[in-house]
Amino acid sequence: MYTILICDDDQDIVSALDIYLTSEGYQTIKAYNGVEALRAVEQHEVHLILMDIMMPELDGIQATAKLREGHNVPIILLTAKSEDTDKILGLNIGADDYITKPFNPLEVIARVKSQLRRYTALGGAEKGPGLLTAGPITMDDSAKVVTVDGEAINLTPIEYNILKLLLSHSGQVFSSAQIYEQVWNDPAYGSENTVAVHIRHLREKIEINPAEPRYLKVVWGLGYKIEKGAK
Amino acid sequence: MGRKEKIQGNPWYKALAIVVLLAAAFGAGIFGARALLALPYRLTDSWQDTADFDYILTEYRDQLVSGVAASRRLEEVERDKDDSSAAGWTYADLEDLERQLKDLEQMMEPSNTWFRYSLRAADGEELATNRTGDRPLADQVKQARRFTFRAGEISYGEVYYRDGMYYVTESWDLAQDEAWASFPDGIEQLDPADEVPAAPAEKPQILVLEYGVPEEVTDAIQDGFYTARRQWGDQRANFDVNLTGALQLLALTLLALACLLWAAGHKSGVEGAHATWQEKIWLELYAAVMITAGVWLAACALALGHELYDLSYYHQYILRTDYQLYENLALAGLGAICACEVGLAALLLRTFAARLKTGSLARTTLLCRVATWTVRTVHDFLRFLPFTWKAVLGFLIYCVLSCMLAMAGYSDGAFMMMYCFLQLAALLFLGWWVYGYHLLRQGTKTIARGNLEYQIDTKRMPYDLKLQAEDLNNISAGLSSAVDEKMRSERFKAELITNVSHDLKTPLTSIINYVGLLKSTQQTDPKAQEYIEVLDRKSQRLKKLTEDLVEASKASTGVLAVTREKIGMAQLIDQALGEWTEKLNDRKLSLVTNLPEGETWVYADGRHLWRVIDNLLSNCAKYAMEGTRVYLDLARGKGQVMMSVKNISREPLNVPPERLMERFVRGDESRTTEGSGLGLSIARSLTELQGGTFELAVDGDLFKATVTLPQAN
Repeated sequence: MYTILICDDDQDIVSALDIYLTSEGYQTIKAYNGVEALRAVEQHEVHLILMDIMMPELDGIQATAKLREGHNVPIILLTAKSEDTDKILGLNIGADDYITKPFNPLEVIARVKSQLRRYTALGGAEKGPGLLTAGPITMDDSAKVVTVDGEAINLTPIEYNILKLLLSHSGQVFSSAQIYEQVWNDPAYGSENTVAVHIRHLREKIEINPAEPRYLKVVWGLGYKIEKGAK
Repeated sequence: MGRKEKIQGNPWYKALAIVVLLAAAFGAGIFGARALLALPYRLTDSWQDTADFDYILTEYRDQLVSGVAASRRLEEVERDKDDSSAAGWTYADLEDLERQLKDLEQMMEPSNTWFRYSLRAADGEELATNRTGDRPLADQVKQARRFTFRAGEISYGEVYYRDGMYYVTESWDLAQDEAWASFPDGIEQLDPADEVPAAPAEKPQILVLEYGVPEEVTDAIQDGFYTARRQWGDQRANFDVNLTGALQLLALTLLALACLLWAAGHKSGVEGAHATWQEKIWLELYAAVMITAGVWLAACALALGHELYDLSYYHQYILRTDYQLYENLALAGLGAICACEVGLAALLLRTFAARLKTGSLARTTLLCRVATWTVRTVHDFLRFLPFTWKAVLGFLIYCVLSCMLAMAGYSDGAFMMMYCFLQLAALLFLGWWVYGYHLLRQGTKTIARGNLEYQIDTKRMPYDLKLQAEDLNNISAGLSSAVDEKMRSERFKAELITNVSHDLKTPLTSIINYVGLLKSTQQTDPKAQEYIEVLDRKSQRLKKLTEDLVEASKASTGVLAVTREKIGMAQLIDQALGEWTEKLNDRKLSLVTNLPEGETWVYADGRHLWRVIDNLLSNCAKYAMEGTRVYLDLARGKGQVMMSVKNISREPLNVPPERLMERFVRGDESRTTEGSGLGLSIARSLTELQGGTFELAVDGDLFKATVTLPQAN
């Protein structure tokens, strides 16, 4: 039984999230501004925080910064601000994830689950030989098993090979042609869009929201990469 | 109001200063006049050089001369005593003569007077003397004088009386005898019949009188000489005292004047300088009145001084008490005139100081006003003369002057020098203009290059260029503020978009969430289930619309950040196909790509360019007729990269292509499809943000979109 703190100045949004999370079996605490959120964290044992950014008294960014002074609890920012700079600021200040409004409640639940798994169960996957990791993605090459947040994922051999290539060179951008040559072991002759299709399928399997990939990133016009050290 | 201003404005202080000024001037005038009167005494080295001394000496001499005549007459009378023909002589006359001689003898006693004389005959025999001891007269007196006269003529021949003045002929010379008869210069002509008695028949005996007074006279004998000597010494001492007094009072006068001028132009209760009615009069008029009065008073003073001088010269004839009264009156008059003069000067200086302090000197001076008006008129005329006229007029004047000086310079070196100076001046003037133009040109260049903050330095510029430069400065300032205004409005727009998007998204979040919750509840009524489905669909569409709207606003206002880098178009199209192929296939559309050999590089922002392609392909998915092909072509050439998307529209496109790119315009007028009507608008804005062009063409049902971007090498 995990306790989740929901903090937003819009009471209806808090109630809706409360219903969704309660139905998923979580315990919830409600707060309507940053100050209340800080007080709630002091008074209860909280396992995850869903926090809005634009709030009266103390906004989400400042509250996150304050929380990070003494707490390790995962924080997911919920906000109407969709600028890249806002996302980067939120993540740099210590938030673990970022969801823009208007959000899909199912996506929120998926992200909550993902963060909780990582926070509680995972601890830190042991790094052995043949074990490739990037954020929540772990690939055990000897067992040919890929897990995301501890959950095993079914991949086709081609998808597996593409992911292995990208994981073993995390942060490096591979163009479709390079991936085709490495995975298919054939020179590329304009049939690269099969690579793009495979990657889209792979993304749908490992990302919560494939339209906004967090780990397997599309570098438009250049290629694909696995974010290095992604959370 | 400070303490200083309080003193300056205090009327009592001013009154005190005026009283002190006038009193000191009055005193200084009296002391000065007295010092002037004593000046002749101060300037003489010996008391015997004074007019007083001369006068008394002549008096004594005349007494002596008349004494000789009287003794002669007495001798005649004695001789003719028995002669009965001695008619006209009475005994009383005789007694008179005897008494006169006795008085004279008494007067000439050495113990009664300092006067020493020696009467000699023409042959040198000494007839009478009162000198003491055997020493000659010349040794006993300071300066011996000699008087030659005819014994028989008594005093009437040599001493004339006229208009209250005595004219005495000094040092009568025999040689001048004839000349005397014909009235030489210096002695005014008299009517001989009236006053000069007929000359005696026989030639009278010629006598020589030598006389003088010793330098040292003491109070042992108190005669006229002693008095004169004492007066001389007194006057010399008086001069020093009076001069000192006059100078001290003059210093006091100046001090009082300074105090008065310091307070001039201030009034109690009034801050700063204050002008009285006197400052409203033209300064010239005021000064003229004051100076006229001053001159008139000075004339009075001169007349009075003359009177006083005369008075002092003849004070022997006037009663001592009367003389003192006259002298005092005259001195008081002089003092009063002096006070008046100083007062006038103080008035003039006061108004001058007050005008200086109020800054109205130039305004209330007629001469200054006229000069200012003239200068301004000429200046304005030259300034507002049209520029062409100015140039022509200036050139003509220069030519005429040059010719005249050059012609005159042929014969005269000075004119040649002036000619050279004229040319030099012309050169300097031209240089000044050219330098001004240079500055103007530099400034214009700087502003044109985009530095709108730049201000041209108009100091020391020729007037006409200055006008130009100032206008340019104004333009640049106006432009600069316009740019600032634009930047402000951009920032405002960005904030507005952010706020509006926040305010739209927050309630939308609730709607989506609660619709989701409704969906998860068990609805017994199948209609309710259907309604919830509609709500769900429409809320999702609203979400998409909101996002597109915000993006369209950002893209069209240029608020969006653009990071351009080298992008591979083939790679991008491949990635786009990866995203879209399946969705298009679901819509029974087949994609045909036509790419050139190798990679095509463009300089663009990958994410924005992806949005353009994404929007175009999503457009195809929404509006293309099922079962047709979608062509995606890429071509490069002339430094440009062209990407076109062609498809056959499902609905007839009866909208011109320009309208299609407008916001909220869609190919289907019924608006039943899922698009927001913003896709093409966003695509065009994003393309233009990256420096490209976006074109649409409609040919029947054929819809073609072309994106042109600069090629990167």
